[in-house]
Amino acid sequence: MKTQPFLRTLVTPAALCAIIYLVAMAMVLQFSVRAFVPGSLTPGGLTLANFMALLKPLYAHVFLNTVWICFLTAFSTLIVGYPLAYALVHVRHPLLKSAILITVITPLFLGEVVRTYSWIIVFGNNGFINSILLALSLIDQPVQLMFTTFGVVVALVHVTIPIMVIMLSTALAHIDRSYVKAAESLGAGPIRAFLTITLPLSTPGIVAGVTTAFAWTFSAFATPQLIGGGRVNMVSNLVYQLGFASFNFPFAASLCVAALVLTGAVLSLLRMAARPLERIGPY
Amino acid sequence: MPRSRMQRLLGIGGTLIVLAILSFLLLPVLVVTMAAFNDKALLSFPPQSLSLRWFINAVAYQDFRTGFQNGLVVAPWSASIALVVGAAFALAIDRYRFRFKRLLEGALISPLFVPHFTVGLGFLMLAVQVTLVNTYVVVIVCHVVLVLPFVLRSVYVSLRNFDRRLELAAASLGAPPQRVLITVTLPLLLPGLVSGWLFAAILSFNEFTASLFVTGQRTQTLPVAMYNYVREYADPSMAALSVMYIVGIAILLTIANAFLGLGKVLNVEHDR
Amino acid sequence: MIADLEPQAENTTAENGETITVCFEHVSKRFNAVVALSDVSLAIRRGEFMTLLGPSGCGKTTLLNLVAGFFSPDDGRILIGRQLVNDLPTYKREIGMMFQNYALFPHMTVMSNIAYGLKTRHLPTREIARRVADVLALVKLVGLEDRKPRQLSGGQQQRVALARALVINPKVLLLDEPFSALDKHLRASMQMELRDIQRKLGVTTIFVTHDQSEALSLSDRIAVMSEGCIRQVGRPDDIYTNPCERFVASFVGDANVLRGRLVSMNRTQATVALGAVQILVQSEPLLGIAISAPVDVFIRPEQLRFTEANEPCASKGTIVSQVYQGGHVDLYVECKDSPRSRLLVRLSEPRASICWAIGAQVGIALNTNEAIAFPIV
Repeated sequence: MKTQPFLRTLVTPAALCAIIYLVAMAMVLQFSVRAFVPGSLTPGGLTLANFMALLKPLYAHVFLNTVWICFLTAFSTLIVGYPLAYALVHVRHPLLKSAILITVITPLFLGEVVRTYSWIIVFGNNGFINSILLALSLIDQPVQLMFTTFGVVVALVHVTIPIMVIMLSTALAHIDRSYVKAAESLGAGPIRAFLTITLPLSTPGIVAGVTTAFAWTFSAFATPQLIGGGRVNMVSNLVYQLGFASFNFPFAASLCVAALVLTGAVLSLLRMAARPLERIGPY
Repeated sequence: MPRSRMQRLLGIGGTLIVLAILSFLLLPVLVVTMAAFNDKALLSFPPQSLSLRWFINAVAYQDFRTGFQNGLVVAPWSASIALVVGAAFALAIDRYRFRFKRLLEGALISPLFVPHFTVGLGFLMLAVQVTLVNTYVVVIVCHVVLVLPFVLRSVYVSLRNFDRRLELAAASLGAPPQRVLITVTLPLLLPGLVSGWLFAAILSFNEFTASLFVTGQRTQTLPVAMYNYVREYADPSMAALSVMYIVGIAILLTIANAFLGLGKVLNVEHDR
Repeated sequence: MIADLEPQAENTTAENGETITVCFEHVSKRFNAVVALSDVSLAIRRGEFMTLLGPSGCGKTTLLNLVAGFFSPDDGRILIGRQLVNDLPTYKREIGMMFQNYALFPHMTVMSNIAYGLKTRHLPTREIARRVADVLALVKLVGLEDRKPRQLSGGQQQRVALARALVINPKVLLLDEPFSALDKHLRASMQMELRDIQRKLGVTTIFVTHDQSEALSLSDRIAVMSEGCIRQVGRPDDIYTNPCERFVASFVGDANVLRGRLVSMNRTQATVALGAVQILVQSEPLLGIAISAPVDVFIRPEQLRFTEANEPCASKGTIVSQVYQGGHVDLYVECKDSPRSRLLVRLSEPRASICWAIGAQVGIALNTNEAIAFPIV
C-alpha cells in the first residue's frame, strides 16, 4: 500500500493547530526579550533586562520554592499512589475494582478550583481538621494549615494522585503474572518477590509518573494561589500577578521562558537519573 | 491459594493502607458536602442546622450561570474540534510516513509539559495582536491546543487495539478507501472516539489556569467565575456549587463506565 | 485392567514414604461452577518421570498448579515427601517449575535468573557461583551468563528456564507444556536432552502435555486424564497396548474402530466376530455384555493389513486417500463397519503407495492378536 490517501486531509488541521500554538509560544519568547512600557500593552525595544531582573533573590527564591514544592509533591504522590495502583491492578472482584477506579479518577474531573476549595474547608481555622481536633481536646488553638507550604503540598498531592495512579497501573498491568509466580516457585516470599520483581519491572511507570507529576505541579495555579494565599508563591502565581495585575507582559513572558527552561532542565535531569534505573527495568 | 501468616498479615496491612488513602481522597468531597448543607454562613464544623439556601443562592448567582453557559459553549466546541483534528492526525501517525511526523507529534503533545499559565499568556498576547480579546474564538482555540494531547492518546490507544485486517477484508470485497473508512474503521473506533470526546469536554469545562488568562468578562468560564467568587466571598455557596459539580461528574462517569468501561479506556486492565 | 491406583498400598510405611515423592489423595478442585478435578488420587515415585496427559480442560494443569501451590484443593490431601502441603504457600515448597512461556525475569541476566532460587535460600556467594556454573554446563549454555533473556533464542531461553528450576535441587520438577512453542526439530532434540538430564539427576518430574506422542516418548509412567478424573495410569507401552477404556484407547495413539459381534466369553478372554474372521480380546472391558451384542474393536493402524486373494476379511472397503509419510504410507479406507470414520491402515512396505491405489476395493485383515474391544456407546 504505497499510496497514502487523504494524507493532506488528515494532517493539515493538526498542522494548523500546531502552527497557531507555536506562534503563541513564539510571542511569549518574543515578549520576553522586549522592554516593558508601563501603561501600554505594546512592548518596547529588545533588551535582556527582564532576564537580569530574574536573578534578584526575590524571584530566584520563588523559582527554588517552586522546584522544591514540585519535587515534594511528585515523590509524595508516588508513595501514596503506588499502593493504590497496586490494589487497582491486583484486586479481582470487579465491583471493588470499579469502586477504586471511580474514587481515584473522579477528582480528576472536578477541576482545580473545586478541589482546592474543598481543601480550604478542610484546612481552615474553623475547618474540618481544626474542629475535630478542638472537639477532641487534642489542641487548644486552631492549627495553622492554610497559607503553609504543608497545606499547599497536601492539596497538590490530592490533585496529582489520579494521574500518578493511571500511569503506575498501566505499567503494573503490563507485568506478566507468571514472573511473580516463577519467583515464588523459586522460594521468594511475598516481600522479596515484590522488591526483586514487581518493583523493578514497574520502573518505566514510576519514571513516567514522577515526571508527569512534576510537570503538572509546576503548572498548578489555583491551589498555591488559594491555599498559599500569597504567602506560598509558585512561578505560576507570579506570572499571573505580573501579567494581569500590572500588565507587565514582557516580565511575565520572561518568567515563563525561565520556567520552561527550568522545567526542561529538571525533567532532563530526572530522565538521566532514571537511566540506570531503566537498565534494571525490563527494557 | 495457600497463604502463610506473613502473606495474610501483608494482605490486611495492604487493605488498611489502601482504605486510608481512599479516605484521604474522599475527605474533601465529604467535607464540602457537609458544608454545603450548613445553614450558617461561616465555614465551620459541625454544621449546626441544615438548609438548602446555598444551593439556591449558587444557582441564582449570575456569574455562575453565565460561566456555566459559557462552559457549555466552549467545551463541546473544543472537544469536537480536538476530536476531528486529533483523530485525523492519530490515523496519520499510525499508518503513514511523512516528513516532520515526529516534529508535529512532539509539538502537539508538548502542551502536556508546558505550564498552562505559559500557554494562557501566549494566547492572550496573540489575541491582543489579532484583536480577538474577550471572544469565544481565542478560548476555544486555546482549549483545543490543551486537550489535544489527551484526545491523541485516547484515539491512538484505540487504533493500536484495532485489527487492520478488517479493513483489508473490506477492501478485498470491493470497498474503496473512503467507504472502508466510513463503514468499517470509524464505527469500530467509535468507543475510543466517544470516550476521547467526553474526556476532552470535561477537561475543557474544568480548565482553569489558561482560561484565567484568555477569558474576559463576557466569556468567563465556570471555574474562573468560581475562583473570583472564592476570593471575594466566604459563604458556602461555592460548597453547594461544588457538590452539584461532584454529583454531576459522578453520574456522567458512572454512565461512561457502564457503556465504555473506563478501565479499558485508561488502559489499566491486567494483561492476560 | 482397571486404573492403576497405588497410594494406599505404597505410602504407609516409612520405607515406602521414601519412594513416593508426590502424593494426591482424593483431591478435588472447583472454580466457581466448573469442576476441574474430581476425587483424584495419584502417587508419583521418587526419580520418576510422570506425564499428565489429556485434552484441554481435563484438569492436568490444575493438578500441576496444586503441587506448585498456586491453588489450594477443596478436598483431599497433597503430600510432598511426607509433608502435608495443602496450606503451605508456594515459596516454602521445594519445587522447581518451568512455565509455558518460560517466565524468565527480563530485567536480570541469565546468571541472575539462575541464581535467583539460590539467593532466596541464602546460600553463600561462592556456592552459588559454583552451582550456576555446573548447571550451565549441564544445559550447555556456558558463556551466556551475562546476556539478558531478550538476547537469547527460544531454545536458549528454555534451557535457562530449565537450569533455573534444576539448580535449586527441587524435590519435584514441574513442567507445564514447555515445548509447545518450539518447532518440530527443536522440540525433538529438547525432549531428548530433558530426558537425559532428568535421568542423570534423578529428579522426580511431573510433565503436563496434550501431545500423546510426546508423552509416550518421554515418560516412565503416564496418567491419562479427562474431565477432571484420571482414566488410567501406567507405563507407556501398557497404556498403548492395554487401554482400560474407550477414551484412553482413542486419545493415545491413532485408533481404528470396527463394529463386531460378541460370540462367546469366559473369565479371561472373549471371542468377537469381525466380518468373516473371529478374534480373541480381553474379556474384562466387556463384562456384563450379552452374547451377540455389538461391540467396538479398537485396532492400531500398524495392526491392520490388506488381505491376499481369497483370504477371509474382517471387513471390506475402498481406499479413498493416500498420505505418503516417507518411512510409511497412511492409507484411508472408507468402510461401512467402522462406526465413526475411515480406517487408517499404515504400511511400511516400500511400494505400498503404488500397490494400493485410490479407488481400489480392498479387504481388511488384522496383523495382530492384541486388539481391544469395548462396549458400544
